Amino acid sequence: MIRTGLLGIVACMLLQSAALAQMRGPHVSEAACEEPTLRCATKATPAFGPDGTLWLVWMAGGQVSVASSQDAGRSFSAPTQVTTTRLNLDWGPDARPKIVVDRKGGIALAFSTFRDEAFNGQVLYTRSIDGGKSFAELKPITANNESQRFEALALDQDGTVFAAWLDKRNRILAKEAGQKYEGAGLFFTSSSDGGSTYAEAKLAREGTCECCRLGLAFAAPGRPVVIFRNIFEGGVRDHAVMTFADVATPGEVRRISVDDWQINACPHHGPSLTVAPSGTYHVAWYTNGKARKGLFYAHSRDEGRTFSVPMAVGQPGRNPTRPFVLAGLAGTVMVWKEFDGEKTSVQLTVSHDDGENWSPPRTIASTSDTSDHPLLVSNGKQTYLSWMTKADGYRLTAIEDQP
Amino acid sequence: MRFRFAGIMSLGVLIASAAAFGTSPALKPFERGTWQSIVRGHVGRPVLVHFWGVTCGPCKVELPLLGQFAKDHPDVDVVTVSADLVPNLPAATQSMLDKAGLSSTENFIFNDGFVERLRFEIDPAWQGDIPRTMLITREGTITTIEGSAEIADLERWSAQQLSKHLSPDMQREHGK
Repeated sequence: MIRTGLLGIVACMLLQSAALAQMRGPHVSEAACEEPTLRCATKATPAFGPDGTLWLVWMAGGQVSVASSQDAGRSFSAPTQVTTTRLNLDWGPDARPKIVVDRKGGIALAFSTFRDEAFNGQVLYTRSIDGGKSFAELKPITANNESQRFEALALDQDGTVFAAWLDKRNRILAKEAGQKYEGAGLFFTSSSDGGSTYAEAKLAREGTCECCRLGLAFAAPGRPVVIFRNIFEGGVRDHAVMTFADVATPGEVRRISVDDWQINACPHHGPSLTVAPSGTYHVAWYTNGKARKGLFYAHSRDEGRTFSVPMAVGQPGRNPTRPFVLAGLAGTVMVWKEFDGEKTSVQLTVSHDDGENWSPPRTIASTSDTSDHPLLVSNGKQTYLSWMTKADGYRLTAIEDQP
Repeated sequence: MRFRFAGIMSLGVLIASAAAFGTSPALKPFERGTWQSIVRGHVGRPVLVHFWGVTCGPCKVELPLLGQFAKDHPDVDVVTVSADLVPNLPAATQSMLDKAGLSSTENFIFNDGFVERLRFEIDPAWQGDIPRTMLITREGTITTIEGSAEIADLERWSAQQLSKHLSPDMQREHGK
């Protein structure tokens, strides 16, 4: 895809003096500090436990740690370090540690590391059965030694933990056969013991984009649904969903929209998925395709067979990115980031009719330095924005109900 | 005089940062204002600026091809920018550049934790997908190639720059 213009040069001339004036010393890290503490985290992922406790897992200083909050994020317990040594954690833009908390209070975690100098990844998992006081020894989620990244975890009603990730193991077979290998495979497994052990990994789909996060939810008990950036014919990296028949049986690949983003690149920008109590799939994604460019939202009321016409999200001139959508009892909430050249803001919109109509976007948070993706988390009654920022630390913000 | 002072300041930042990296000074930090410096520093010459990253699969395939292109086209200024989010891997970056035959080109590495701001200076619409190649003519016209570039397209663009530069029309234009 080729674009031509003089815009860059014009912008250069305008920005030149300001940029020189503001040039400072090196800012070599996304992190505010290099300790394993929450204040130094670059990525933090929340989950509510059954008793309303907020659990947070984060990566900071090469370590993964967990802490809990009884007062909606105002204060946290003393953290428990999950890792025992500093690891080369996957710091890719779409990577983050994952957490689910089951009905008994068991905590299952997963995250990726770079296993070698070629940046091949490894998904590790662990579990706590003592309320986060200690975690089991880290184990790889699959015995295979090729590259795995972008794991996702979701908890079924019966306590089964379902995991999906992107896995490049089949590139070896392709290479041996003299065939071209594009992207990665969507692999999955599940755990019937709360995340202590996982079944053998299986392939759901070969030929997905290899560098974007997955979205994962349950369409119904026993039926996980995954959203991912697929590689369609001709190297088109558009989005698809797959609804599993059960935790061991993948379903069809169903395309969300024909954006026609043909690109041989790492977009580093994955989608978001939530399934409403009504069964509606709500999805949000980024594309830079020939058919449309920017952030988009759509919904499906037939398990992904058909989707609504994509709705543009955010202000095009403000670089809208990192959408996250979550359906709750009080409505469906969507957040994303916008950037005005100096500050990043989190924008919010809410739908009270299962995705047909959305409120005008409004700013609910902003920061003047780098930040994690904005995430949404719900305790069943209240939905919160969970956002880690370099300048202002970790924030949990209640989403106020809107008319 | 003010410009010269700004230049010395910038150089100081570059040297200090290179020392902080503890690696070859050939790898320059890409910070606020660096994009403007690159564009200004190559005015009057065709420039190819290539954005890539060490964890990007398609980038690993493209980089050696770009190394060969740079070798074959001394008339084009080739600049590389490692645009990964956490620019703390200068050794891996330098190693990949060396293997790709790009040791002697002007090579940068993102050196500001606030990458959204860095990218916004380069192109407000860029969300961070790599590889990405920006071709800048002598006149300052920028052509952006998103994703892996076809070397044939680069060859064609390069030939156009050379033929424009040598055409009688251009020479008359310069003589005005």
